[in-house]
Amino acid sequence: MTAARLRRVSGVVLPPALFVLALLVVWDLYVRWRDVKEYLLPPPVEVFRALVHDPGRFADAAVESLTAALGGLLIASAVAFGLAVVMAHSRTLERALYPPALLVKVTPIVAIYPLLAIWFGFGIGPKVAIAALITFFPMLVNAVVGLRSIDPQAHDFMRVLHASRWQVFWRLRLPSSLPYVFAALRISVPLSLVGAVVAEFLSGSSGMGQLILIANGDFDTPGLFGAALVLAAMGVSLTAAVSYVEGRVLTWHDSSGG
Amino acid sequence: MPTGAAAIEVRGLAHRYHGAEGALQALDRIDLSVADGEFVSLVGPSGCGKTTLLRAIGGLLQAEAGQVRVLGVDPEEAQRRRLFGLVSQEPGLLPWRSVEANVRLPLEVTGAGADVSALLARVGIGEFARYAPRQLSGGMRQRVALARALVHGPRVLLMDEPFGALDELSREAMRLELLRLWESERITVLFVTHSIREAVLLSDRVVVMAPRPGRILDDLRVPLPRPRTDALEETPEFVALVTRIRAALREAS
Repeated sequence: MTAARLRRVSGVVLPPALFVLALLVVWDLYVRWRDVKEYLLPPPVEVFRALVHDPGRFADAAVESLTAALGGLLIASAVAFGLAVVMAHSRTLERALYPPALLVKVTPIVAIYPLLAIWFGFGIGPKVAIAALITFFPMLVNAVVGLRSIDPQAHDFMRVLHASRWQVFWRLRLPSSLPYVFAALRISVPLSLVGAVVAEFLSGSSGMGQLILIANGDFDTPGLFGAALVLAAMGVSLTAAVSYVEGRVLTWHDSSGG
Repeated sequence: MPTGAAAIEVRGLAHRYHGAEGALQALDRIDLSVADGEFVSLVGPSGCGKTTLLRAIGGLLQAEAGQVRVLGVDPEEAQRRRLFGLVSQEPGLLPWRSVEANVRLPLEVTGAGADVSALLARVGIGEFARYAPRQLSGGMRQRVALARALVHGPRVLLMDEPFGALDELSREAMRLELLRLWESERITVLFVTHSIREAVLLSDRVVVMAPRPGRILDDLRVPLPRPRTDALEETPEFVALVTRIRAALREAS
């Protein structure tokens, strides 16, 4: 790492790190000074202790939730992109499919959880379904826009060459849509976690949602903080992973890299 | 196809655009004939239908009435036979492909084969083969677009204000480059431009168009010798032609 690179990284990392550190110090001092009860606001060190005391509990729950979230995200993204391909090619089908898709978006997904539980049982099924339903719409809308966002001059050029729809799709539409697909993923990755955890609240069967419910029942406030931290870390890592892949794939795009 | 036969034949072409303020007569009964190997410019102010005419010839637009023939077949069949090359005002390159891969695109689409690196060298971008389009200047990008339009060996090159977005110096360089290329290839070129001087410098014939309704005002042969250079622009013949076209356009407006 060159000195310049080091300076740049430290310029990005250092200010927020210092801010968080200051926050922790203020938090700790406040709790000690006012003698705040632990079940109301535990000192940072207690949160840390809760995490390291039984890391397996958090890790298992995190894996459960992550599996459901990513499973739902993957299924929804694949289905939404497939539908988007159809909609991008036909205005009629777009008009037919858009209202039902919008209905999925505006319906509070929590409200249909009982139905999902009836259909998919009480295991991972309804969690995946909720994560899928909640991430479906952003991908659909972005992918349709992306697949339509082709450079008209490039499209004209391919048309005078009598390129087939298939050739236009693979060589022009699909690559043009990728920036929009990644934008959708950056939106839907955190949403998928929300979906999974909400489903776990409702079912109480497993995962981070269940861990939170149990900690809540036990007045285990450090555990609640720990769970929130773990979920935040999951969201950050997933978003960073998307950004990393995006940077690798979209080297040609203005918004990538930075 | 014997030399001198029509590469482009347009009969009674008419087209209207339907907008909020009623229909706009973009083309009104256009007749035009371009010989094989001829370089013809369409020149005129905005709205005279020159781009519409070019798009109808290239099969990118279905005109409401009239007939277009390209080397004896309709535009769609001409597309199928890969007779066209197209250069637009914006290069329309694929930003995720290198220069070389962009120029290769028509070969992938048509299945034709060609010596891409030789072509890149001929249009003066040989050393940029591995560059991304975004790393090139506007003039260089347009050279890539030109190479891409020629790589599959088209018979009719359609150019829609190809140098319109370039700065004056790049424009001049590109004109001379195109002259040099065309004088060795002699394919049919239909060249749309705003610039009267550009049209006269490049063309065998200049077709002058006027708007509302889009129509042909004048059709002039350019009897200047080839090969041409920009030194020609100072000659009395050149100046006389430019003056005549300008007068025709002024009269129409």
